[in-house]
Amino acid sequence: MSDTIISLQSITKTFTSKAQSFTALMSVNLDIRSGEFMAIVGKSGSGKSTLLNMITGIDHPSSGTININHTQLSTMNESKLAKWRGENIGIVFQFFQLIPTLTIAENLLLAMEFVGTVPKGERVKRVRELLTQVGIENHANKMPSALSGGEQQRAAIARALANDPKIIVADEPTGNLDSTTSHAIYDLLESLSKSGKTVIVVSHDPNIASRFNRILTMSDGKFLNC
Amino acid sequence: MMNIKYIKAIRELRIDLRRTSLAVFALALGIWGVGSVIVSYYILTRDLNENFQKTEPIHLILESNDFSNLDLKTFEKRPEVESAEFRDFSLQRIEIKPDEWIPLYFYGAENFGSFKLAKIFSESGETRPEKGSILLERDGQLISNLDVASTPRLRFGSKVINVPISGICFDPAQAPATQDHIMYAYTDKETYTKFTGLPVNRRLIIRFRNVYSAHDVQNTAAQIIKDLEENDIHITNNKIPLFNEHPHQWQLNTLLFLIGAIGLLAFIMGSVLVSQLMRSVMVSQIRQIGIMKSMGATQGKVFQIYTTMLLVIGLTAGIIAVPIAIATGNWFAHFVAGVLNFNILTSVPVSIYLLLMFASLVLPLLLSLSILIKSTKTSVIRALNDYGINVDNIGKKTTKKAVRFTNLPGTFILAVRNSLRNSRRLSITVITMALGVAIFSTGFNVRKSLWNLLSDLRNELRYDVQVALSKPISKEDAIQLFKGISGVKDIYLWNGGAGAVQTNVLSTNKGAGIIALPYNTELIKPKMIEGRWIRKSNESEVVMNQQAWQLYEFPKMGTNLNISIGDSIINVRIVGVAQQFELGKIFIDADKYDAMFNPQHLGNTISFVAENNEYENVIELKRKIERAIVPSNLNVLFVQANVERVKVVYDHLNIILSTILILSFLVLLVSAVGMASATGINISERTREIGIMRAIGATPKKIYSLFTAEGMIISMGSVLLGLLLAIPLSSVAAVFFGRLMLGDQAILQYAFSQTGFWITLIVTVSFGWIASRMPAKNAVTKISTREALTYE
Repeated sequence: MSDTIISLQSITKTFTSKAQSFTALMSVNLDIRSGEFMAIVGKSGSGKSTLLNMITGIDHPSSGTININHTQLSTMNESKLAKWRGENIGIVFQFFQLIPTLTIAENLLLAMEFVGTVPKGERVKRVRELLTQVGIENHANKMPSALSGGEQQRAAIARALANDPKIIVADEPTGNLDSTTSHAIYDLLESLSKSGKTVIVVSHDPNIASRFNRILTMSDGKFLNC
Repeated sequence: MMNIKYIKAIRELRIDLRRTSLAVFALALGIWGVGSVIVSYYILTRDLNENFQKTEPIHLILESNDFSNLDLKTFEKRPEVESAEFRDFSLQRIEIKPDEWIPLYFYGAENFGSFKLAKIFSESGETRPEKGSILLERDGQLISNLDVASTPRLRFGSKVINVPISGICFDPAQAPATQDHIMYAYTDKETYTKFTGLPVNRRLIIRFRNVYSAHDVQNTAAQIIKDLEENDIHITNNKIPLFNEHPHQWQLNTLLFLIGAIGLLAFIMGSVLVSQLMRSVMVSQIRQIGIMKSMGATQGKVFQIYTTMLLVIGLTAGIIAVPIAIATGNWFAHFVAGVLNFNILTSVPVSIYLLLMFASLVLPLLLSLSILIKSTKTSVIRALNDYGINVDNIGKKTTKKAVRFTNLPGTFILAVRNSLRNSRRLSITVITMALGVAIFSTGFNVRKSLWNLLSDLRNELRYDVQVALSKPISKEDAIQLFKGISGVKDIYLWNGGAGAVQTNVLSTNKGAGIIALPYNTELIKPKMIEGRWIRKSNESEVVMNQQAWQLYEFPKMGTNLNISIGDSIINVRIVGVAQQFELGKIFIDADKYDAMFNPQHLGNTISFVAENNEYENVIELKRKIERAIVPSNLNVLFVQANVERVKVVYDHLNIILSTILILSFLVLLVSAVGMASATGINISERTREIGIMRAIGATPKKIYSLFTAEGMIISMGSVLLGLLLAIPLSSVAAVFFGRLMLGDQAILQYAFSQTGFWITLIVTVSFGWIASRMPAKNAVTKISTREALTYE
């Protein structure tokens, strides 16, 4: 398919320790189209977060190839991968993972500083726009600890958008939030998808089906319905 | 606007101010210690020698009664002679306080203010002494109340004269009055003769041209003496001072060695401390590194953030420590200069400031480079999955061991497990602290060893006060003179004089004091280094003290030697070497000596045994003796109490002993701060754990006692290890310092200092207690349970 942005072929991931070895992903194949709003669901330990780590380049497969936006991830070293990640993928974590010593605005600026795609003169303006987009423009100069969980997650989403990546990956983005706030966060992610971003959400909650273009269920390192 | 990376770096430092302060403090302490050593080393290596060289030191001293045959101007034209002049000298006495007299080196000279060699420098009052007055060397003021216009009593032979002081001068070539208990006075030749009754121009001092070693001086001196003898100038005595070396250079060398060695050690320990702190900083940042990398940060960008943190820490530490280091280094140099009587001439150059600032900035970077690289290299997944303590670190073996304590209180078991959970940090902390304890304890032990040695020296002399005369008297006269003095148990009269072993080598002063005493005397029982004490024998047997033995190049026991005393020569057999830390002395049986040199059985050494030999009684007895001497016609060289003699030796060593203690305390301080910081870090890292304990019902008291127990376990372990380590270290140090300070033959025995033990124990345990309680208190009282539970 010409608009495939993410392509995973025969991905296997085995974790080996002295005591035992454990296969988290078993020869997984997956193609994701540009602009898809997609969910990967499954029980704890089914392999969904491992899969997400493969897509983001945070972890490497034991075998198989990953192509994202025409780039084969295995060709890059750690530093190139980090820069590539910053330019192409925005990550939203379950526990927000904002830098606690920086304000919300500074968290976004730091992301821009690392990647350098947004010109310096435009960064503050973009920060303001992004925070407005996620609805926390009034909290720009607050420390993360001063915000509620939902607000922190909105900030994390704004940070994920800082360098205007094509792909947004969210790992259990509502796992730490109440249901009202969770709905608001999903609304936000859906709006991103509608604006052209490819959004992949990992969740252990099977009751979120209605929102997504596609839902994949994982169990024991495989897709049940792919 | 400042780059956001640097803002983050500074915020990280500000967010945990306690840890940042600890890192700054540790680094500042290290920079201060090393900086002080560098500064004082820089000054001291130059200044004593520079002071000494400024005097244009003497290379040869000649004494003769025939110098009237010498044309000094012609002599000075010899190519090997740079300058020469007559500088007469005699040993006199001066009263420094009521009834307290000490030896006075009394010099007669001309051309004050324009000496070409053995220069002295005017400090106050006259540069040239007025007729009938003297210039006094400045260091003497530290042991007396004398100043310009004072008129102390001086004793010249049997005469006592009140002599005004017209000026204070500085003679950097002399041994310090404070240490040698000798004063130095200078007068013109006319006054010299008037007071001493001695003729002038009998002592010629010479400085050579183009001499580069003691050997060069010996050869040149031998040639000059030969030429003078050929011109009917008979040399009665010659002396070659140590070549281009101040008499107390050895003390300074010892000090420099000490401050260098201990400074280096403090530096190493400080470095370990800083790297430990940085390790803890980096460990707490691992998750953030993962987040930043997931946002697109490369290793280089993350590295920049933490490099900035280190540079800020280094800069702050440098700004605090460098001026203090310069000040304390200067202070120490001035302190040493005061003790050894020289002027500080060197000012600390800008390059030293720059070096120290550079060290402040670069050292933390270098010391933390490996952990910095390792941490920033951590993969994103590993960093994001980092939750602090790795369970693997606790180890199965440790768990099993701790389980054995099941009958002990739960808090204690937890404390033991916690102490052992970061084995790398624990070992570094314990080893560093143990090393500090060992060195500190060794400092006290060596001091105790020396003190024991000095007590032995005091005990082996059974007399309490000795009066040495330049003209001998009969025993009857001595008893008559001193019979009215109360508190005297016994009086002994010995004879002796200046003698020299005849050798073919012209070297430094070859003279030694000859002490003629009954072979079976009970008054001297020295420790023998070689051979035995003199016995009744047909042959003339002698025992040398170690200085004389060294002076005559270690003759073998049983060797026969010719000793010249005056114009006579006696053949003797050396049978032993006695341990003594005085000028060279040769002991000979009084009967043998008297038979040859003293048929009238006169004596020039009067020894008093006090009824009560407590310090104050002996000093009072000495005062009474001095009072009896004043109106007499005795020609006294010196009056010395045994207790004071020991004090003179002790004063020589005291500066070194004090330095050992000060520096070893510095090492202990650095290591104690190291321990405090390691415990602090340990507790900071476990703030979340404190939250959990509080959540499940632990009272603040329980938490305090847990962390205090941990601190105590580490402290006690370190003290125990340190004290064990101190035993071999003290034995080696006793031998080393004994040789360094007292000569190759001085054997110091290992001694255990109880005072040192208690001080070490109290300091270390107190540090352990404070180090554990302060951060625990912070975690318990200043952070809420919720905050503690969410602490990263």
